[in-house]
Amino acid sequence: MFRKLLIANRGEIAVRVIRACRDLAISPIAVYSEADAAAVHVSLADEAVLLGPSPSSESYLSIPKIVAAALKAGAEAIHPGYGFLAENPDFARAVVEAGLTFIGPRPEAMEIMGSKTTARRAAMQAGVPIVPGTVEPLATFSQTKELAEQFGYPVMLKAAAGGGGKGMRLVHSYDELLSAFETAQSEAAAAFGDSSLYLEKAIDRPRHIEIQVFADTFGNTVHLGERECSIQRRHQKVIEECPSPINDPELRKRMGAAAVKLARAVNYTGAGTVEFLVAGATREFYFLEMNTRLQVEHPVTELVTGIDLVREQINVAAGAMLSFRQEEIGWHGHAIECRVYAEDAENNFVPSPGRISYLRVPSGPGVRDDSGVELGSDVSIYYDPMISKLAVWGRSRDKAIDRLRTALDEYAIDGIKTTLGFFREIVRDQEFIAGNLDTGFISRFKQRRDLATANTPESEGQIRARDLALIAAAIHYLRLQRETSQKTAASPGQTRWKMSGRRAVARGKAR
Amino acid sequence: MKLIAELAGTEHGLIIKIEQQKVFAEIHGRNYEVEIRERNENHYLLLEGTRVFDCRVEQTREKFTVHLDRNEYSIRIIDPKRLSSAQSGSRHDHGAVEIIAPMPGKVVRVLVEAGAAVKAGSSILVVEAMKMQNELKTPKTGTVVSVNAEPGATVNAGDVLAVIE
Repeated sequence: MFRKLLIANRGEIAVRVIRACRDLAISPIAVYSEADAAAVHVSLADEAVLLGPSPSSESYLSIPKIVAAALKAGAEAIHPGYGFLAENPDFARAVVEAGLTFIGPRPEAMEIMGSKTTARRAAMQAGVPIVPGTVEPLATFSQTKELAEQFGYPVMLKAAAGGGGKGMRLVHSYDELLSAFETAQSEAAAAFGDSSLYLEKAIDRPRHIEIQVFADTFGNTVHLGERECSIQRRHQKVIEECPSPINDPELRKRMGAAAVKLARAVNYTGAGTVEFLVAGATREFYFLEMNTRLQVEHPVTELVTGIDLVREQINVAAGAMLSFRQEEIGWHGHAIECRVYAEDAENNFVPSPGRISYLRVPSGPGVRDDSGVELGSDVSIYYDPMISKLAVWGRSRDKAIDRLRTALDEYAIDGIKTTLGFFREIVRDQEFIAGNLDTGFISRFKQRRDLATANTPESEGQIRARDLALIAAAIHYLRLQRETSQKTAASPGQTRWKMSGRRAVARGKAR
Repeated sequence: MKLIAELAGTEHGLIIKIEQQKVFAEIHGRNYEVEIRERNENHYLLLEGTRVFDCRVEQTREKFTVHLDRNEYSIRIIDPKRLSSAQSGSRHDHGAVEIIAPMPGKVVRVLVEAGAAVKAGSSILVVEAMKMQNELKTPKTGTVVSVNAEPGATVNAGDVLAVIE
């Protein structure tokens, strides 16, 4: 086993990997940018190496800096987390060339799955069904226009090198095509350094269901069941569950077999996820993409299968066999995760950076919070706005929802806007409770809610709570008034100008 | 003490008296007697009889955000005694719309020039923050009066990036 491992990431996922290192008695090494000098992941590591300035291109995305940091600290392996360089084959290669172990698949498998066009080709060859669309990247706008007409609107524009919803646009009609094409191109160039796009037919009311796969270097490839990730905003997941509310063992078996077949076809090793779109009505599934890394939503699989995926990743990378066989994997109960983003859900999910001025993290039976922040942490504008992941487990989906509701109500983060309030409403939504999910869930949820709030009169309890909120604001206002007047009274005749003069004198003396 | 508290566009008259740890308040004829326990400088436990209200008050510009139970209230306190000219000059627009940066970030593209005619819903510029590009659109059809940002410029939340009339 490794003695020292460098985590080429930040925030909650760096913290998650540090925990797995501790379990395995491996010494964790953090890397950080200037903005993260006092971040939580740095404080939990044994050693920390400064990469450079805050922009990720000069820190967390710099391959030479990260490899140099690993060599300097004497790390034997690098865990990339997710995002940043996690799916960059050049990085995996550079790590291996430096004589270190990359915790992830071989660069060749990453390359095939990293481009959506080659990934679709691999899926077709392995006999896994795909969504109708282009196999080659789009060359020109006029070609895009022709193809869109051929497939019929709505269509989806996607970055060939993409993931995480970046460089991705749903286009309803020709009017929107040019602006979407240009924005997707420039977003793809900014996020992945590659502006090529491809085009796909959009499927009606699709569910987004993915299969977790795992493979060792001895030829064992297994699947750990599905995760339903249909609740998305800007094509990025916000709530995930395991198993899917469909909970169809036969479908799980078929999708699992398809995912394993694809993983085998590219000689996959380590943890990976094969994403599918499942047509709501027919339950036909189509290959979407394969993520050649750990997923953000891995905790729900961990809670239901009891397997520590990060620990298993490190074990497999160190040359061990998978610690479980396919027939040993069981799915017990139900888990749901909410991604807590520093975003204003009521204002189009606009990022909300700032300092966390109050934090109360929920706990209790079946509650897990994977967080990268603490009281006083600055959520900077430089990185992804996800600050933590709240996951709960219950014996059934209903019981898991009960625990999630309680945990969300207990969770409090002040100083920045977060998606917590939005989740509190979703867990009370009848369609969510019934498990009627598809990727258009959020927009329909908002319509339902607007209709409901317009038609429901305020209850006595709501009026009382509102009155108490007004009273609290008034108490605080009067208290601030009192403090200001006391301050003025305590320092008669002192102006700001005089104060700054005195400070200048004091500074002069100090020298 | 009489105050006006504005919440979601509605003004509520508030009569309030604080005597040490006790608060007496009246809102729309409803009377409250509340005991205050301070947890820290902006965190109060309010007890009305046996009912517990855990409140945190954040000050954001001219408003207070009150977190109470699982809800959030954005409240503006108007003090009739201290009503200053700054508050009385209501900023009713003259049909002009400001395109405002909703968050700090970087301008990546400017899609219109001053003098251009724009339709409601069309994109004016693109701002990137936290790796996401956000198209800022005009809510009204009209003419671009001014564009105050260039590609590459760093902007703060609240900056007026363009004006449409």
